[in-house]
Amino acid sequence: MEFNVLVEYFRAQIRGDPDVASAVAAIRSLLEFLRRDQSETILGLRENMTQAIRRLEETDSSVAVSSGGELFLRFISLTSLEHPDLSQCKNVMIERGELFLKKISLSRGKVGKLCHTFIKDGAKILTHSSSRVVLKVLENAAADNKRFTVYVTESQPDSAGKRMAQKLRKLNIPVMVVLDAAVGYIMEKVDLVIVGAEGVVESGGVINKIGTYQMAVCSKAHNKPFYVVAESFKFVRLYPLNQQDVPDRFKYTADILKTVKDLNQEHPMIDYTPPSLITLLFTDLGVLTPSAVSDELIKLYL
Amino acid sequence: MPGADKETDLSERIESFLSELKRCGSGAGSLRGSAETARETTALLRRITAQARWGNAGELMEIIRKEGRRMTAAQPSETTVGNMIRRVLKIIREEYARSRGSSEETDQQESLHKLLTSGGSSEDNFRQHFTHLKANVIEAINELLTELEGTTDNISMQALEHIHSNEVIMTIGRSRTVEAFLKDAARKRKFHVIVAECAPFCQGHEMATSLCKEDIETTVIPDAAIFAVMSRVNKVIIGTQTVLANGGLRAVNGTHTLALAAKHHSTPLIVCAPMFKLSPQVPDTPYNHTKLKSVDTILYIHILSKVNAHCPVFDYVPPELITLFISNIGGNAPSYIYRLMSELYHPEDHEL
Repeated sequence: MEFNVLVEYFRAQIRGDPDVASAVAAIRSLLEFLRRDQSETILGLRENMTQAIRRLEETDSSVAVSSGGELFLRFISLTSLEHPDLSQCKNVMIERGELFLKKISLSRGKVGKLCHTFIKDGAKILTHSSSRVVLKVLENAAADNKRFTVYVTESQPDSAGKRMAQKLRKLNIPVMVVLDAAVGYIMEKVDLVIVGAEGVVESGGVINKIGTYQMAVCSKAHNKPFYVVAESFKFVRLYPLNQQDVPDRFKYTADILKTVKDLNQEHPMIDYTPPSLITLLFTDLGVLTPSAVSDELIKLYL
Repeated sequence: MPGADKETDLSERIESFLSELKRCGSGAGSLRGSAETARETTALLRRITAQARWGNAGELMEIIRKEGRRMTAAQPSETTVGNMIRRVLKIIREEYARSRGSSEETDQQESLHKLLTSGGSSEDNFRQHFTHLKANVIEAINELLTELEGTTDNISMQALEHIHSNEVIMTIGRSRTVEAFLKDAARKRKFHVIVAECAPFCQGHEMATSLCKEDIETTVIPDAAIFAVMSRVNKVIIGTQTVLANGGLRAVNGTHTLALAAKHHSTPLIVCAPMFKLSPQVPDTPYNHTKLKSVDTILYIHILSKVNAHCPVFDYVPPELITLFISNIGGNAPSYIYRLMSELYHPEDHEL
């Protein structure tokens, strides 16, 4: 399969179903690539895979695609260890890949079910930018006949918060859009903060749209619980110690990385929130404290 | 018929246990303390395993789950009942897996690794019949009972590592575990204990009298004096009713105040809690006081009906205020509690 065809397939997945997580679309495309791959050896297959993942990351530079790709690569390595013969290995891989895809498509539903019990009647919730997982959680809570209000930050520079507000209005949830600068002002009114994540790093911190760190610091100052909802395929093997440590390839969109010469003039789209500011993480593996995240990653990559 | 007799005998015992549970909330029942409740629950579960009619592990787990739901509904604040039920369910799963000879005895949890490598259906519906399953499960439950009996001793054995001579220790209310802990240290060391009386039931007074009998220098203080006295305290050692999944506590009211005062003075806060108090619940709000006691016993003057009086029984203490958990398996940090929980309970049993 040509890499251009792969990229087209990936873009078609996202166009066809705008609600799908970008990592799921990436893994689906990689599975299709695996099916059509013509390599004769496992090493050749692995090399093709690595290149394919790199091409996908160039198309969509979000952390989720990178973590999805790495997970898939790990999946290939683990399976190939069990079956050294290529043709047998390939069949097993495709079968397991389908199963894996089915499971992770259900992840968002699992997270939604776990988290919505934490939203009490009459709660005021603050969220940041537009996250499909947070939307699912709020949808479940509303379906449970709970009354709550949502404050969403505008989330410049792409005003993603306004899109989130529209989606919430369709669900008949009272919502108010606030300026990014108004987070400190509004924090005393809210009961809890729920945000999504583009990536969950090894320390238990999260990488998310810029402005999340600010919100976390404010909520810590006001002693409000700060919850993160994320599916498990977003766990990524990074360990940033501060904002500078996050690699440039995640900070900016794919187009900017390709066209702009001096990245210092550009503004990053994401920031890193350290684990000390996070109360709990809701994932499809259960409700985790930030210290449990690295355990999960170790179990996988050991 | 002996079969029918056994069944009626079993249901009678279950009913009497349920009524005991309902009464122990008001202090009138015969079950004193969580350790006894845990032991009684486990003994009852062993009896159910031995006497109830079941063909395979799945049926046994259904029976236990059903009875478990009734027991937890009878006394929701007594979390040890639910914990023991979950332990036994995990024992059944393990014994079943061992009988099948499957290699997945260690990692039964959902994990990223399992997501990637599981081939085919990992849905085990426990329908296979094994002849020795009953005997194995009962033996494992007996081991659990032995473990339960030794918990207080295991905790007290660690006392000498934590309490040094001429130290001032503060505690609140009455905890049998802390009492045994302090008494064990007192055999070899001389130290001073300050007990906060823990109004309105003032169980701190009983604790102080009991400690005095072992020649430990004890002082009783009212709850309002906790902050004032804290600057002279070296360590705070408390017990708890439940340890929650995030490392927080549900303890007797007044504990949160004590924890905040200790944090302010940077005094280490040590919690002595046996493993059977570990519960998979997470506090959904920090203000979730579900149990209030009647105030008639404490208000000595007749207050006009326009005044509301609340008397919550439990406090939530967040994990950031706790330094160390001492349990029968050793000392652990609050951030490690999730790991201990994954070893004790299976995630599918968190919701009975």
